[in-house]
Parts: sequence; C-alpha cells; structure tokens
Amino acid sequence: MAAAAAQTNGSAIYGDWPGRYFHVDQVLDRPGPRTDPSFLAGDGVKKFLREECKILVIGAGGLGCEILSNLALLGFKDIHVIDMDTIDISNLNRQFLFRPKDVGQPKATVAAEFVMKRVPGVKVTPYFGKIQDKDDDYYMQFNLVICGLDSVEARRWMNATLVNLVDPENPESLKPLIDGGTEGFKGQARVILPTVSSCYECSLDMLNKPTAFPICTIANTPRLPEHCIEWASVLEWPRVWKDKKMDTDDPEHIGWLYNVAAARAKEFKIEGVTWSLTQGVVKNIIPAIASTNAIIAASCCNEAFKIATSSAAYLNNYFMLIGTDGVYSYTFEHERRPECPVCGGESVELSISRDWTVDRLIEMLVEKQDIQIKKPSLSTPTKQIYFQAPPQLEEATRPNLEKRVSELVPNGGEVTVTASSLPFSLSLRITFI
Amino acid sequence: MIKIWSMKKNEDAAAKKKPKTSAAQIRVQKDLTELDLPSTMKTNFPDATDLLNFTLTITPDEGMYKGGAFVFSFVINTNYPHDPPKVKCTQKIYHPNVDLEGNVCLNILREDWKPVLNLNSVMVGLQYLFLEPNADDPLNKEAAEDLRRDRDQFLANVRSSLKGGYVKGVSYDRVAVS
Amino acid sequence: MSESQTINEATTNIQTGQPDAKTRRYDRQLRLWAATGQNALESSRILVLSASATSTSILKNLVLPGIGHFTILDASNVTPQDAGNNFFLDGPDSIGKNRAEEAVRLLGELNDGVGGTAVKESVGEVLAKQPDWVKRFTLVIAHNLENNLLEKLSTLLWEDEAGPPLVVVKSAGFLAEFFIQFRDHSVIESHSDSAPSLRITNPFPSLLSLATSLDFSKMDPTDHSHVPYVLILVHALENWKKIHGGSPPKTYAEKQEFKKTILAMKVKQDEENFDEAEAQAYRCWSETKIPSDISSLFSLPAPSPSSNPNTFQFYTLLSALKTFTSIQPPYALPLSATLPDMHTSTDTYVHLQKLYKARAEEEKAVFKELLKKEGGGENVDEEAVDNFLKNCHALKVLKGKKWGAFDTDREALATALQTYPKEASTHLALSALSALPTDVSPAEESLRATAQNIVGQDVELPDEFDNAVGEIARSPSADLPTTSAFLGGLVAQEAIKMITKQYVPVNGYCVVDLVETWTGVIA
Repeated sequence: MAAAAAQTNGSAIYGDWPGRYFHVDQVLDRPGPRTDPSFLAGDGVKKFLREECKILVIGAGGLGCEILSNLALLGFKDIHVIDMDTIDISNLNRQFLFRPKDVGQPKATVAAEFVMKRVPGVKVTPYFGKIQDKDDDYYMQFNLVICGLDSVEARRWMNATLVNLVDPENPESLKPLIDGGTEGFKGQARVILPTVSSCYECSLDMLNKPTAFPICTIANTPRLPEHCIEWASVLEWPRVWKDKKMDTDDPEHIGWLYNVAAARAKEFKIEGVTWSLTQGVVKNIIPAIASTNAIIAASCCNEAFKIATSSAAYLNNYFMLIGTDGVYSYTFEHERRPECPVCGGESVELSISRDWTVDRLIEMLVEKQDIQIKKPSLSTPTKQIYFQAPPQLEEATRPNLEKRVSELVPNGGEVTVTASSLPFSLSLRITFI
Repeated sequence: MIKIWSMKKNEDAAAKKKPKTSAAQIRVQKDLTELDLPSTMKTNFPDATDLLNFTLTITPDEGMYKGGAFVFSFVINTNYPHDPPKVKCTQKIYHPNVDLEGNVCLNILREDWKPVLNLNSVMVGLQYLFLEPNADDPLNKEAAEDLRRDRDQFLANVRSSLKGGYVKGVSYDRVAVS
Repeated sequence: MSESQTINEATTNIQTGQPDAKTRRYDRQLRLWAATGQNALESSRILVLSASATSTSILKNLVLPGIGHFTILDASNVTPQDAGNNFFLDGPDSIGKNRAEEAVRLLGELNDGVGGTAVKESVGEVLAKQPDWVKRFTLVIAHNLENNLLEKLSTLLWEDEAGPPLVVVKSAGFLAEFFIQFRDHSVIESHSDSAPSLRITNPFPSLLSLATSLDFSKMDPTDHSHVPYVLILVHALENWKKIHGGSPPKTYAEKQEFKKTILAMKVKQDEENFDEAEAQAYRCWSETKIPSDISSLFSLPAPSPSSNPNTFQFYTLLSALKTFTSIQPPYALPLSATLPDMHTSTDTYVHLQKLYKARAEEEKAVFKELLKKEGGGENVDEEAVDNFLKNCHALKVLKGKKWGAFDTDREALATALQTYPKEASTHLALSALSALPTDVSPAEESLRATAQNIVGQDVELPDEFDNAVGEIARSPSADLPTTSAFLGGLVAQEAIKMITKQYVPVNGYCVVDLVETWTGVIA
C-alpha cells in the first residue's frame, strides 16, 4: 500500500479539474479583514498547499477519519497517517471510512485507501504501528502535525517529541501541533506552537481523571455495580489468573469478569451489573459520537489550513466545546507554565574544559551567581551522572564525581539537573573547549 | 506557512532546546533525589540504572509492627505522574489494610492520587499504615476484625505473623528483623 | 474457581450476556442516549433541502448513528465545483449526474440500517405543488436556501402546530449560523448535573425514624465510621431544628456552625462519612423548596390538544406534577428512587436504598391517581411515568420563535448589536447576504447597505461588523470543507437532541466564526 502510494508522488497536481477548488480558492485568492498582511494571495499559496506541504495525522479513529477527509478536500495532497489499531465493530457508529467488511483490518491502511479513492490526486501514506516507532528524522519531514488521539500518554509523547525537535538554529524544526479530543458531547481543539505557546504538558492538570474507587470499598463494602466489577477486575483477576494479562478486547475475558461481578452483586444484593457496564468500567469506555468528532476535527483541520496558507488568523489557542446544554463554547489563550517539565524550565549553554570533573561542574553550579543550585542531581537522557539521594544511588554514582564530564557527556550533549531549590529542572547543553 | 519563527525570536533569544529525557523520567529523578526518608525507610534498586522499578523497605521503630521489615515494590510507568506508581507488598503479611495478595489500601495510591503528590508522600503514607492500622475500612477483614475486638490478641497475632507463624490457619511470611 | 481451569472452560455458557451486533455497533452512543434515544432516532424521517457539502456533512452525522430514513430534495446536477468540495460525491465521476441521487447513494453506504430517498425536484416546485409533503417528516433541514423560499417554508411549518421543526443553516466562507424553528420543545431527560432531593429537610417517616433512632455515642467505632451521610444530616438537622425553633440553618454564620457541628461528631479524624456529610450539608438549606426552574414551568400555558402528541403528553404529566406538589405535605417533587453512592457498609446502603424505593413507589401511586384525573392522563404508559418521575427535578421546556422574527424586530437587533457585537454582526452580515440576489457576488458596500436597511438607518453598526461583512464579501459562495464539516457536526448534534428529546438543544441563532474559532448564541 505504502509503496503503491509512493509511486504517485512527484508531480503532485494530478486529477485536478477546472472548478475543483472553486470554494477553497475564494479564501486563497483574496485576504479578509483579519488576514495577516504577510498573506500572499494567489498561486504561490496554492502551490505550497497542494504541492509542497506535508502533513502528519496521528490517529485514524473517530477524529482521524474526519481529519483525513477534511484535509483531502481542503487541497492537502501529501498526507501521512499513523495508527496502531485495527477496526472494531464499535467504531462503525462514527469512523465513517470503515465498513463492516473492514473489521479486523488496520485503521490507517483502510482509511488511507478510502480517502485516496474518493478524492482523486491526494496521496495518503499510512503507517500501521506506534508513534514511538518513528524517530526525529521522520517527524522532521512534516510541516504540520494534527493529533486525533484518545490516549493521554500518546499525546504527551507526541508533544514532548515536537517540543524537543525544536532546534534554535533551524526554523524548519518548529512544527505546529494541532490537538483535538472529544468525550461524548464535549470536546476541545487547540493549537500548540512548540516552545512558543502553551504545550500539552502545560495543561495536564486540566484533565479530568477517571473515577477510581477506594480499594477497601471494592473489597469490603461494595454498594454500586461498578464496585463489583472492579472487584472482579482489580482483585479477582490477578488472584485467579496470576500473571495472565487481561485483554479487555477479548469477549471471553469480559465474560469471565461479568460473571464474577454478577455473582458478587447477587451476594450483596446489588443491582445493575450488565455486560455493557462491565465492558465500560474495565475498558474505561468514553462515549463517542460522529457529530462531536466532526466539529472538533473540522476545527483542527481549519487551523491547519489557516496556518499552512496564512489566509486567516489562527486559533489562539484553545477552543472548548460543551454540547450537552445548548451549544456552549469557550475560546481562550492557555498560558504557558514556566515550570512545565516539557517546554518550561531553564536551559543554559555551558562551555567547560574537557578536563573538568563532574565534581568541578557541580561546584560551579552551586557557586555560579546566576544559577545557585543547592545539592544538584545530574543525568543525561540515558544515564545517571550523580544523584544526591537516595543513599544507594548516591553511592552508585559517587565514582562519577572523579570522572571527567567529557567521558560521560558527548560534546553538545544535554544534562538534566534537578534540585529542591529549582521549580522543576534545569537543562544544560555542554560544549567542551 | 505562517511565520512562527519570528515570534519565537522576538520572544526569547535564549536557546530553549530541551533534553530528550522524558517528563516522567525527570520527574522521577526529582522525586527520588529529593526523598527525605527517616531511618526506618530505605529504597533498593535491583538495577541502579533503572529508576522506574525499585523496592522500599519499612522497618517501623515503634507501634505494633516494630520488629518487622516490610518490602513494597514500586513500578512507575512512563505516564507518571499522571498515573500513580503501582505499589504492592511483596510479602504475605497480617495487616488490616494489606490483603494476602499484597494489595494495599492507601487512598493516594488510587482514588486520591494527583500529580502534585510525589513518591515521598506515598512512602510516608505507607509507613503510617504500620503505625496506625485502620480497622474500619480494611482489606484483610479478619485482621481488622481482630484489631477491633481485642487489641491484645491482635498484637499477639502480629507478633506471631512476623515470625512466619500461622494466624487462624493462614501462614504468613517471616518478616521479622533478625 | 480452580486455577487449573482455562479461560475457555471457565467462560463457556456465559456468552448469553454479550450484546448483539447492533448493540455493539452503537455501543459508544448508547452510553449517551440509551435504547430510548436510539429508538427515537430509528423512527425519525429527515428531509434535507439540497445536497450541498454542508447538507451531506450534516446527514453523514445522522446516518452514522442510525436515523430511520432521510430524503434529499435537489433538482440540480453535480457541477465540477460540487465535485471538488463534497465528500459524498464521487469526484469527477459524479459530474453531470443528479446531485441528490449521487449523495443518497454514497451516504447510504455508511449504514445499512438507514433508508435514503433522492427527490429530483426543486424546493420551489414542491412548495408550490404539494406543500404538505414537507410536513410528513420528523425534522426539516435547509442549507443556504433562498430567502423567499425560506420565508414560505418556515411560515408553512410554523403555522401547523404539529408541524416538524425546521433547521435553517447558512454559511459563507469562514462564517456560518443556524437556527432551529420550533414552537415548544419539552425535555424530560435533560441529563442535567442537578441532583434530585434526598428529602433531608423533610424526611419521610421511615427515614426520619431511622435517623433519629441512631445513638452515635453507643456505636462501635466501625459502625460509627459507616453511618451514611444522609442519616447523619437528617439526625443533625432534627437536633438543630429542636434548638432553633424548627428552622434549618439560614444565615451564613448558622450554616458554618451547622457544618462545624457535623465535623464535631467525629470520633476519629479520618471518618470519611462525616466529611461527606459536611460536603453535602448544603442540602439542608437548598432542598427546602421545589427548584425554581421546575416551579416556573407550572405556570406555562399548555398547548392545544391539536399540537404534537408528545408535547401534549408532557404537559399532562406536568399538570399532574403541579397538583402533586400542592395537595399535601411536604409539598415536594415526588421522591426519586435512585440513591447516590455514599460511604457506608453494603447492608446499610442496601437497606437505605430499599427505604427510598418503597417511599418512591408510594408517591408514584399518588402521582398516578392524580394523573388519571388529567385529560388524556390515563393514556400515559407506565414507562413514561417512571421516566418522568425519575427526571422531574431537571425538566426543561424551550419556547421557540419563528425563523426570521428576529430580523424584523429592530429593537432586539439593536440591543444584540450592542450586547453581543461579534455574534450579532456575523448574523446580520449573513442575513444581508441572503437578502441579495444569489447569482452575482455582492460587493461589500451593497452588503453593508442591505444590513443597514435591516437594522434601520439610525442604528450605528459596530466595528465588528466590518470584520464580518469583509469576510462575507471575500467568499460569499464558498462552502468550505471545514466550515461544512463543523456545521455538519453542530447541526446534526442539535438534530439528535431534538429527535431524541434528550439533552437540551440550542434556542436562538447559533453563530460560528472559524477565523478566530468561536461560537455564540443570540436571540
């Protein structure tokens, strides 16, 4: 699939017909009142959009399907999509590029094929796998990234990767990240300019955490059907099946949990344990519908289009939608967090002699007027250099104090410093003289 | 494309290049190197280069569990501190708030976890369980029942369990400090 | 269960609980609107006027969740322009074919359970020849329909009290709006966050006797830490009332003092049940009256029996509810049978649950007797009564307006331009666009003049109007893929709320600006 798609690369404008872009061209041929003066209406911007711009979509699920079809109609021609999932029957109520016959197939591949078939001339390159499989060089090739994910962890990884990609020497390294998310009738879309505006990690505390019940309630005083289900999954499953991993997509596993939970509910005279609730609790299912996904995906693609073409101002920087009671939305600027562990914190360039020991470096950090850190602990991305505590790690890293920094850190390498006197961490970029 | 770079330059001339260390990794480094543990608690890293898997040994110097050494495993995932650390007791012990599988009933490990908490708060919370076992919302119901009914009998049970003896037909691991 | 068993053995014969294929397909939405909402969707028939990109985007989000049937009315053939911006046309292959037929074919592929019909006629023809045909649908949606036809259609549907709601959708470039025309929309399942009363302030006899019989001083510490907050509050409130002349805490100081009394009942610091009681103490003063949102519904004029049967039934239930709250103490809404979770033992919780259920059943019997005395009350089935009583603390009634009424109300327009200048300016610019002939692109100046005519010459247009009108003049006939997808989601969402009568639809013009990315509601 990927190979076949690659062959259509090259002369990108293929399959166009007169009038094809009648609608989109209206906003590319002239500026509007709020368009930035740097916007160059006409052929140049169309050529960039349709022949040069390369965009990456993370996720080919509820948001991803919508994002891919929107991008294709907007005129993006070189689209890549990553998704590690296969199609499940419960996706079909909203993931509209999939049909019952596709169940079990990779989402990325099926979605890419569908969009290429429906929208002539667009090249969608799928990757069926994890975002973590790809390295910096891969992410470096894109102009923009849109995330349509349902996992906090994957979002944190993607966000950190794009923030880290920013190279002060290379403007091309700054890739705008547009992130969308939905939950039932609610959703949000946001624009993240890595190292310039608030990043995903900056707003991590805005997330609702999933409901968790006290383990003693589950064990001893169950009152709700959910307590019985958690008893089955949190306590009984590992007790009975030991190290066998629970697969929440396996109906047999769900069936076992459902039966165990139902028996417990009966014992305690609790009503309401059903298959659907069991599945909902153990998989932490979030309701999802086509309409909310459509709104949020449209918003994400609209921002991508405006950023790629400069044809209109873009979202600054957070759009939140609540659709349970009327249509309520709130657009605001989420502020960067100075102590954000990903985009915040200080970064210091340090030139030291090749002969400096770690001990000498630490001494300097403690004494240096503009840094003044008490009891710093140091590490590189792959190993510990010196830890002040706990005792075992202090002892294990103590021999490094006598070593030269240049033995442990490559020239231009990064050192992460933590200390209780720092709000979060300090990063050093060390060059040797 | 919009010209983001110009905004960046105007905003801050200093280099902002960050290391490739993950947020979870830095946070664990910060948590561990700033641990402020009393002499009754000690961490152990089977692999000193792996900060995400380690054990904590608690040796209470007062209370009913004085004389025991209790070992808890800590497993931290890459979504820390969004996700709490996973903590289990590695021994079979007689305690109202620890079950025979090693599950621990401590609110901040589950329903009350928030990212502002850290490893130090979890460890202090664990130690508290040995000073003040809670009989009202237990995990080991029999142990809790004993504690409620007859404190002296409970204490005797604890003593015998620490030595690896039986309590009501259940054999416990020997955890007494020799 | 023995550990030697395999998962397979352990799970044979238990597959009975597993849902069927249809339930699995709709699982993620059934968690929002349940089988009742799904049934309503599946019985609905939707009419959409034109197969524009926006129209098919809306329909996509209705076909996927499984409406019963949709009809697209469109006489035109697919142009090269259409083929470039509509995902439910087959690119250049569709050019020259009828637009409704092509769209129905491709939308139909999304869901086998949904029927679709293409009608190759123009709206003008249909309204002239057989206007009543449009009334046969559950909901009618019109995108960028000419003003004169819109006027005709909206009047036709408005004047029939039982006629379907009409959704009027307009868009140009980055700007858009939609309006739902309906007379009366009543919602039983609003899914609001508000919780039903637990009758703390006016406990029913079995609750009162249980709470007052408690002797906290004689309890074993475990029992003490497991008294549910409902009983703590009833107990504490009764004691409070005894020394305060029968009144609950009223002033801020009294409320604080009451909360302190509750915390002082703790015998150990970590008794969560008392913390819960303190957190729920507000119930002791907020539950004393029927929520004003509900009592205000009692004075609404009931619709005539010729209106929509659903609407009529709602008002019958509402009238019985009004009587229920006025005939006997405690003059409260019927008790809800559902008890929230609270820190307590299983036995106590189950027991308390039983008390609430028993009392709720008694009150339901009283309610049903009252309902029988209402005209048409005997026709309401048990399920509808249960659903009404379960949700009666969060009922919602929306009174709608006719489409276009706002644009003839100069005073309202002038106020809106002052209070909500961005939203009102965008609406006005879109109104000006549809007032002008559609065959030529209007100049900014003629749009401005038209808008000025609508609001009156004496009204000064705000600065925000420049932004809106400039954007409209830039792209008057652009049905942008993202704007249509955004509207497709918003309009379908509101349509689902209208059809299922769950959640609360928007009332007024919902205005969208995708330059700065905001939405707002006016009128």
